[in-house]
Amino acid sequence: MIISQTLAMLIDAYRELNARKLFWITMGLNVFVVVLYASLGINDKGVTFLHWQFENDVFNTRFVSPELFYKTQFVTWGIPVWLSWIATILALVSTAGMAPDLIAAGAIETMLSKPIGRVRLFLTKYTAGLLFVALQVFIFSLGCVLVMWIRGGVLVPSLFLAVPIVLVFFSYLFAMCALIGLVTRSTVAALLLTILFWFVVFLVNQADDTLLLQREGTALRVEDLETNLEQQRALAQKRLQQLDERGETIRDTDDREITDPDQRMYAVNPALRFSETRLDDARESNENWSDWSGRATLIKTILPKTQETIALLSRYMLNENDIKTLLAQQTGAEPADEQDELPALADPRAPERVEMVKRRRSVAWVLGTSLLYEGVLLGLCCLIFRRRDF
Amino acid sequence: MSSQHAIELHNVAKTYRGKVHALRGVDMRVARGEVFCLLGPNGAGKSTLVKILMTVIRPSRCEGSVLGQRVGHKPTLARVGYLPEHHQFPGYLTGAQVIDHFGAMCGVPRAARKKRTGELLELVGMSDWGAKRMRAYSKGMRQRIGNAQALINDPELVLLDEPTDGVDPVGRRDIRAILTRLKDEGRTVFINSHLLSELEMVCDRVAILVQGLVRSQGAITDLTQDRRYYNIVLDAQPEQATSAFAALAPAPAPGERGALDSGEWFEVEGPAMRIGTDDPNRIKPLLSSLMAAGATIRELRHVRPSLEDLFMEAVTDPTTGQTLAPGASKTRKGGAK
Repeated sequence: MIISQTLAMLIDAYRELNARKLFWITMGLNVFVVVLYASLGINDKGVTFLHWQFENDVFNTRFVSPELFYKTQFVTWGIPVWLSWIATILALVSTAGMAPDLIAAGAIETMLSKPIGRVRLFLTKYTAGLLFVALQVFIFSLGCVLVMWIRGGVLVPSLFLAVPIVLVFFSYLFAMCALIGLVTRSTVAALLLTILFWFVVFLVNQADDTLLLQREGTALRVEDLETNLEQQRALAQKRLQQLDERGETIRDTDDREITDPDQRMYAVNPALRFSETRLDDARESNENWSDWSGRATLIKTILPKTQETIALLSRYMLNENDIKTLLAQQTGAEPADEQDELPALADPRAPERVEMVKRRRSVAWVLGTSLLYEGVLLGLCCLIFRRRDF
Repeated sequence: MSSQHAIELHNVAKTYRGKVHALRGVDMRVARGEVFCLLGPNGAGKSTLVKILMTVIRPSRCEGSVLGQRVGHKPTLARVGYLPEHHQFPGYLTGAQVIDHFGAMCGVPRAARKKRTGELLELVGMSDWGAKRMRAYSKGMRQRIGNAQALINDPELVLLDEPTDGVDPVGRRDIRAILTRLKDEGRTVFINSHLLSELEMVCDRVAILVQGLVRSQGAITDLTQDRRYYNIVLDAQPEQATSAFAALAPAPAPGERGALDSGEWFEVEGPAMRIGTDDPNRIKPLLSSLMAAGATIRELRHVRPSLEDLFMEAVTDPTTGQTLAPGASKTRKGGAK
């Protein structure tokens, strides 16, 4: 009976989607985006779109292989922009009514009068609601796999990882949407409040990114200053050695001999003291940003990791060398001149460090804590749905 | 667990938020194989009671069983058919798909669903419309599909909440025929409706629910037993009639009942006399006495109260003679009248 009921609800969910114009509009847009993707090309001069040639010093086959080019476009635009934003908003609009429709007067009575437990009924409906995204992402991924195969000359079946990854990402929002829909019984409220929540998560992610960038920027400055200081100290030491060998003494302004080793160093290199002060300031600044970054990470821990979940795909599709190549070509990153007083955010090496830090965040942390959040929300939904009179 | 009763309830109570006492201790028994009708004014708690049986609402207090299992036992619902009041089936489904979908939800095997869906569409007169989407249906058509989906799982017990709502007279006749057929097949039918004249034709027993309590319950014949009478109207002036009636028994005070020597009650009102009996043999000697006294009988009629009379009596406050206010009570608590 469980299989029969589950199948019935999945078939019903499909029929409902099939009856909605938005489903087919989104599907049409998916195909359109895939066609655009297929229209892109790369050669030794740059990027092509249909028959137009756009010369580019970074994106050309001398530096970037067609395979990497298509992969990059997929993980840069296809997933984060199209599937994670535009298609997700369309999916939310399509599925926001799941809970309010389920508990609508006249509909819920018939469902609850069947031999199915309330929790199972709700969770099956919830799962069926995810069908929208699963179908859309599958079609999109299939199209992109074909484009990569035909145009990029490489078959990348791992691209289908987009289906579970985007599904998990969408489920974070859908769980919130279901909870709000269940409490308010309103599709509009469920949609708007979910988008608001998503915006809050986005802001937290942006704050985390910025703080991480500051932390890594200041850490780089500390490292640079430490290196610089070491070099200055070595030079000062060498100078002192030369003076000692020549039997010369170092005297202060009152013509007294300086014997303290540190004071001797400062005497031969007065800039050393200034460099140490800069290093102390940089360390203090780094500690400060580290504290704030830690707080942002803590907040993120209890929230769904939307950005990191989507970024998991690029982890599997682009290795660290690919990322370094792309970042280096995009930013022309070179170690900052020690004399440059660039703000930490402007250090061109910082984004790469941030990317690596984010990549080092474990999948268990990214998915585990996000699914825990989703579990809590679904638990609340089940509790409400189980106890409510209709 | 087996029981001779399809539904057996004791002390069922439901209090909604805001201390609204929808049910205040309902006791009810529905025998297997009978057509049972639940009556009551708006807000009496009828739908609440049905929803408790179907696990849509959780009772505040409930003892009892449905088909031998405790109320709320989900697997038992596979043997129960239910048509909710004001149901809304998805507009994107066809009538046949609605029936099939709810059959699947009841665990009916696919082959059986397919066969039974066709039969049920035929039964409710929707064969030609089965492939059309629900959104194209009239209210009556949706109601017919609703009735059909309630029967897809071949239920032992069918609960129908306003089954004739929005259905035209032909459709009502069809539904009555379906109810009779269900009864003939040995199924128990529990109907919640306002259409008293419709119910009277099909139901075996009724319960009248008023303000969350069962005011009366039983077979219509039993409930009307004490209220049946013969009405004799003489073709005479009231004074002449009074003297003719005096040949039978001394006249009671105006507005009061007297008693005949044979024990039946009687009332006199102008040229009319009402005699409380259901037995025509008791009337024969009275008619003879009246005719012997020279009275001419203009009318002789056996009067049996209708379901509507029973209903109106149940919803009328005996002390004030006013109809009781509709709706649940915010102040009355369980069991208090």
